[in-house]
Amino acid sequence: MKKLILGIDLGSRNVKVALLDSEGFRYYRYDTMEFYRRYGQRVGGSLRIDFPALGLPRAEKVVSTGYGRLTVQVEGGTVIPEIKAHVLGAVHQTGLKDFTLMDLGGQDTKIAKVANGRLIDFLTNDKCAASSGRYLENMAIVLEMPLEELGKHSEDPVELSSTCAVFGESELIGQIIEGLPMERLAAGVNQTIVRRVKPMLRQLLSKTVVFTGGVAFNQAIKEIVEEEMNVKVIVPPEPQLNGAIGCCIFGMDVK
Amino acid sequence: MTEKIGITTTVPAEIIYAAGDVPVDLNNVFITGSDTHSAIERAEMDGYPRNLCGWIKGIYGTVLAAQDIKKVVAVTQGDCSNTHALMETLELAGIKIIPFAFPYDRDRDLLKLQMEKLMECFNIGWEQVVRIKDELDRVRRLVWEIDRLTWEENLVSGWENHYYQVCCSDFNGNPEEFARETRKFIEKAQQRKPFSSGIRLGFIGVPPILTDIYQYLEKAGARVVFNEVQRQFSMPFPQADIVEQYRMYTYPYHVFHRVEDISREVERRKIDAVIHYTQSFCFRQIEDIIFRTKLKVPFLSLEGDQPGQLDARSKMRIDSFLEMLR
Repeated sequence: MKKLILGIDLGSRNVKVALLDSEGFRYYRYDTMEFYRRYGQRVGGSLRIDFPALGLPRAEKVVSTGYGRLTVQVEGGTVIPEIKAHVLGAVHQTGLKDFTLMDLGGQDTKIAKVANGRLIDFLTNDKCAASSGRYLENMAIVLEMPLEELGKHSEDPVELSSTCAVFGESELIGQIIEGLPMERLAAGVNQTIVRRVKPMLRQLLSKTVVFTGGVAFNQAIKEIVEEEMNVKVIVPPEPQLNGAIGCCIFGMDVK
Repeated sequence: MTEKIGITTTVPAEIIYAAGDVPVDLNNVFITGSDTHSAIERAEMDGYPRNLCGWIKGIYGTVLAAQDIKKVVAVTQGDCSNTHALMETLELAGIKIIPFAFPYDRDRDLLKLQMEKLMECFNIGWEQVVRIKDELDRVRRLVWEIDRLTWEENLVSGWENHYYQVCCSDFNGNPEEFARETRKFIEKAQQRKPFSSGIRLGFIGVPPILTDIYQYLEKAGARVVFNEVQRQFSMPFPQADIVEQYRMYTYPYHVFHRVEDISREVERRKIDAVIHYTQSFCFRQIEDIIFRTKLKVPFLSLEGDQPGQLDARSKMRIDSFLEMLR
């Protein structure tokens, strides 16, 4: 029988699932709220997932990650810490062993230093999610611009000084009223993300930065980091599914 | 008549006891109270900012709710500058404030002068204070033994170590009773089987406002064998001279004295990694830079805001940290 492994990354905005069998990986993505409402049920101390309703086959092994031990304890599965999942995923996807992982998710910012394939230090945001994907989503709404378009602009950014993601919105609206070009506003939004992440990145910097999480689809942020930090930034083929992939890799290695 | 004297952090408790009064560590009253959140809410209703240390707000609300605390010794130097506004707003509410300052540079003369001024407030002299010091030192020695049983014999949990040491700021208002409790605990601990070997952690920084951190760490296979600031409350350096004793106490002075003390204990206690705990919005978050640079062990910075259990994000960070150490 073929071995089938499910890796599940329960994120704040999306639930990402990677399915690994002898033919390779297949990927699935669900809205977090919908996932819990329609397909999840709390049984005892763990989460029961209705795999058939999701259209997923029964797996021999289920490995999950995300935050909050109880919320991510999938019934019959193994839980691994998020950073571990991301490091395993990044090593697998890039084939690199020495790098700094920059994972920018829906609410999380994680910076992890990896040496010889092992996690040696990490930093995360705390108590504030102003440099997260959710911030980008909100700003894209304010600018009435698709996220893909927002992610194209890095030139001549406007100055957005607010430290708070919510106040940042009204500051941006003020700039719109000033009549500044949308490209410069978009560049300003991307710039604020980098400015927030930079102090953490600076502390754990390597020559190569592997950029994962949903924010990694933003090309402008990648370019700004490369230019300002003088590093090479690699976005793996599946940046958003990196944690789920890492879960599968963990499941594959454990007997 | 015996009076309860609130203290905002450790001060020379000898002086208050020598006057026949009872020191009450307001932090302890706040955090062990049945309704910590209403203490904080009281402060916020009166206009304390939301983005301010939970301990300060908690102390404010606690003093106002207490019927029997009308005097507070407030540490104006050597703790945090929020205490200044805390004491001023308490004064506004009719509380008598007695300021006490630990001189930043550990100057012996200045510290002695501060202690003498405090003694003056309580109408007592050195002779009475020194007598009480001997009594309190006997209790402190019991707590030192608990600390030793923690790291050397592995018989005491991180929380127990935290509890007995943190009580040394005011000896729970009754040194004799506290000594009895401590002796009983030591006897009990000596009967135990040692904790199995796991990750040995140092916990540096102010006592946590979070209630389940030690238990969470222990469940995950890591035990705190060093509570840095709490240990300082027990005046862990034997000193016959009381001024010298409060000069050796590391917490209120230059941070590099703390670094020295921590480094020494990390080595002696064979500590695998250190957690630096700070309050949200605290200036001590800046000192994180110094500890990260100076301490040569894996290091996790952890932040707490309001009383309660660890949040999901902190748990995730702790899990990852312990995973990294394995």
